[in-house]
Amino acid sequence: MCRIYMTIGKEKNENIGYAFISPYIIFLLAFTAYPLVFSFYLIFHRWDLLTSPAFVGLDNFIFLLHDTQFWQALLNTLVFLLIHIPLQIFFSIIIAMVLAEKIFARTFFRAAFFLPVIISGAVVTILWQKLYATDTGIFNHLLSLIGISPVGWLTSTKIAMPAIAIMATWKNMGFYIILFLGGLLSIPGHLYEVSRIEGASRWQDFWRITLPLLRPTMLLVVVLSTFGAFSLFIEPYVMTGGGPLDKTMSVVLYMYKHAFLFQHMGYAATIGFALAIVILMVVLVQKKYLGKETEY
Amino acid sequence: MKKLILHLILLFAAVSFIYPFLWMASASLKPVAEATSMNLLSSNFTFHNYIAVFKKIPIGRALLNSTIVAGATTASVIFFSSLVGYALAKLKFTGRETLFMIVLFTMMIPGQLTLIPLYTLIVKLGWVDSYPGLIVPWMISGMGILIFRQTFVSIPGDLMEAARIEGAGELQILTKIFWPLSKPAMVTVGIITFMGTWNEVLWPMMIIREQTMMTMPQMITMFAVGGQAGGDLGIQMAASMFLVIPLVIAYVFFQKYFIEGIASSGIKG
Amino acid sequence: MLSNLFTIFLLFSACNCQAVELLYWSSSNTEEIKLAKILVNEWNELHPDIHVKVQPIPATGSSEEILLSAIMSKTTPDICSNILPAIMGKFIESKAVVCLDRFKDSEKVIVDRTGTKLTDKFRSNNGKLCQIPWKSNPVMLAYNTEIFKSLKLKPPKTYSEFINVAKSINSDEDGNGILDHWAMKVSIKTVWYQRLFDFYPFYVAATGGKTLLEGDKAIFNNDGAIAAMKFFADGFKNRYFPMLGFSRDTFVDGKTAMSMVGPWIIEYYKRLNPNLKFDFAPIPVPDNHKGPVYTYGDPKNMVIFSTTKHPDEAWKFIKFLISKKADLKLLELTSQIPTRAHIADDAYFKSFFKKNPLLKKAARQADFVVPMDDSPHLIQILDIISRQFEAAAIYRVISPEKSMKMAAENVQNIYDYW
Repeated sequence: MCRIYMTIGKEKNENIGYAFISPYIIFLLAFTAYPLVFSFYLIFHRWDLLTSPAFVGLDNFIFLLHDTQFWQALLNTLVFLLIHIPLQIFFSIIIAMVLAEKIFARTFFRAAFFLPVIISGAVVTILWQKLYATDTGIFNHLLSLIGISPVGWLTSTKIAMPAIAIMATWKNMGFYIILFLGGLLSIPGHLYEVSRIEGASRWQDFWRITLPLLRPTMLLVVVLSTFGAFSLFIEPYVMTGGGPLDKTMSVVLYMYKHAFLFQHMGYAATIGFALAIVILMVVLVQKKYLGKETEY
Repeated sequence: MKKLILHLILLFAAVSFIYPFLWMASASLKPVAEATSMNLLSSNFTFHNYIAVFKKIPIGRALLNSTIVAGATTASVIFFSSLVGYALAKLKFTGRETLFMIVLFTMMIPGQLTLIPLYTLIVKLGWVDSYPGLIVPWMISGMGILIFRQTFVSIPGDLMEAARIEGAGELQILTKIFWPLSKPAMVTVGIITFMGTWNEVLWPMMIIREQTMMTMPQMITMFAVGGQAGGDLGIQMAASMFLVIPLVIAYVFFQKYFIEGIASSGIKG
Repeated sequence: MLSNLFTIFLLFSACNCQAVELLYWSSSNTEEIKLAKILVNEWNELHPDIHVKVQPIPATGSSEEILLSAIMSKTTPDICSNILPAIMGKFIESKAVVCLDRFKDSEKVIVDRTGTKLTDKFRSNNGKLCQIPWKSNPVMLAYNTEIFKSLKLKPPKTYSEFINVAKSINSDEDGNGILDHWAMKVSIKTVWYQRLFDFYPFYVAATGGKTLLEGDKAIFNNDGAIAAMKFFADGFKNRYFPMLGFSRDTFVDGKTAMSMVGPWIIEYYKRLNPNLKFDFAPIPVPDNHKGPVYTYGDPKNMVIFSTTKHPDEAWKFIKFLISKKADLKLLELTSQIPTRAHIADDAYFKSFFKKNPLLKKAARQADFVVPMDDSPHLIQILDIISRQFEAAAIYRVISPEKSMKMAAENVQNIYDYW
């Protein structure tokens, strides 16, 4: 009796299992597998979506290799990350450490820092564009109070990308503060007690205990910031259109430009393909170098 | 003394995070001549800009669209992802481990790779300018499946067995027993999906041209950047407020869930 | 839940299938939306059987990019009145528009209004007419008459006159070391269409009416182009043009004394600053220039998209939009010039032009305009020019000579590659 019940149960279980996953399988085939396969088709074709696609072999890749604008866009992403990541980690850790103390109205502060995280990037960008305006923006107004002449935040070739990186840091900081706060609170208190008995200063504590133990969180911050940097779109689209001199051109904006401005679907797919490879490589490298020595 | 300094630093930092939004709210209420001033208060506050937004663009329709799209996507992600999560956690069938690997793999594919092919697919399906185009490609999420699977795995099997003996079907077990037991997971998945869809701008920009089908972020970007606002700062800020206010209200009430939910799903870029 | 939502969706998208309904995309600026709404209301009252719905082009970037993506996804409206003729090649190649020979009276209606010579400019390679000539905005030099009067200046005719004028206008009134008055407003946006309103008119003027292409050949690497590019490079270098990202129009605020604009700004400025006094002058040319001063005409035409189910009704509506009465409204409400032969001398419009001498000047200039070349790579070509303009004029990292040489090479590459 018991055996029969078990087998029926199992078989039923099996069918129900398939029933439960079948919507996902269809979804997977249509919106993940098909685009994935079709991107392999697109990268070997030239297609404007209007006339029929033409096979071009590796032409798209050869064009990409010589496409200075594409490489500039990749370089811009690097510039963005070099400014964004250190700023992000530095300020997030400081604020998280302050919040980890017994602080009056901690919930309020936490909520305040988190506010920009939930706001649409489109709104944040439109808003900051006004703050950065040369004539009426708040930043130049503040500078003028201490006697500094107006800065072309979004029009100077040197400052435009850092300006966007600062904005992105501001927008995402709340998120990283919470991550670091979680990391800080999970550090066992006795480590500090032992260290205190050994006569170490707070400064030494920070370098010897806090920072090493925050390493996994930092890796997460670096990886997530990298993903974010590679998907920059609305920020340059609204604020600069990729200028000045392509210094704020992002890869996704460049892909969008080829797809929707020039109707180069095949080439746009090639840009997406190349970008995906770069992302995977960068993340692997980051994991390899930052992931080490996380156990302490 | 040290405490005081800490609080002052914190207050200064917090102000720099809130002030831009207050300035935005204030600019949206000011007449043109005062709009760019740094002061938050003015004796001439008016709703003129909001009325102008209503006159210039179908913002009510956009709010409705955003609500429909974000609502339907969220409901669907919760339902279908929990279905798959349940199957992966509690049902035994051949290929289960493979499927789990596939879920993990899909989460590693950068979205930029499939964006253009996905767009051409939507064109072929004739889903441009339609709700299916905005909703269907995002109906199930790998992240949702993962969160539900992890939650469901830790729910003891006894409850299930008891229910089965009483003759409950698997769908009933999922909705009547597992859902109530995993509210935090549902709230997390719900908030992340809703927020992501509500704020998404690139995808609508790619597939929507018809003004009556636009969601809020696209409508506002179009309005502010495309010139319909005529360079009037107050009106642009007023339009942006429509996008911000519903989310901020939700945030005030569910602050804890927002912060914990989003932080716990650090995986999603 | 989902099925309910789709039902809602179906309800929304369901049409009123009794009457014919046409969707008409107008340009998205305030004045043209107003004109379109007034004309459409009038039409709908007269024709209850053909209902027209008007919507401004849903543009986040340029209308051309929206129209092209709409064509790609087959979601074009029935009619659009903001068509850059230079994009028509691409539209015809992809069979996106209805050519007018299918309407018996089209030749007569259009030639009667626009004249043979002008109409022929808008024919495609096979001689067919697939667009309806509508209006133009010859780009001219607007100058602030109050500033010019107070400094006892005359509008500059040549580059060296411009430099003299610019030197006396540039000033730092509050003496803080930062200029607060500049000679001319030049956009530092690098978006592709911007160069149609600064570099291209100067190029056209300096070359005596040349365009950029001859067939598939880039012909713009010439003295005129280099002179024009040098003009802009010197202007930015000597700060005759402000390099700052202003959030408001500096010409409207009187911060810059000149601007490159079409007559459409008459109505636009009336709304922004009714007290602004300005006049039009031809575009400055190189000192050794001879002959008439040409400019870019900024023509915008109408098309019927082939996605329409009601081409005949659409054509009927368009005839209404280009009637004399509608043209007068176009002049009055948007201050743009209808593409009508000899409009400045037409009795019907006489009293209007008498009251609006500025527009009469623009209408006279409309006899000396060239369009932009029709090319399937139009946007890419203008993008290249715009980026070279940025490099050579705004930021001056390469010389004007080199920028034009590179631009011509890049354009040739496009023809060879894409």
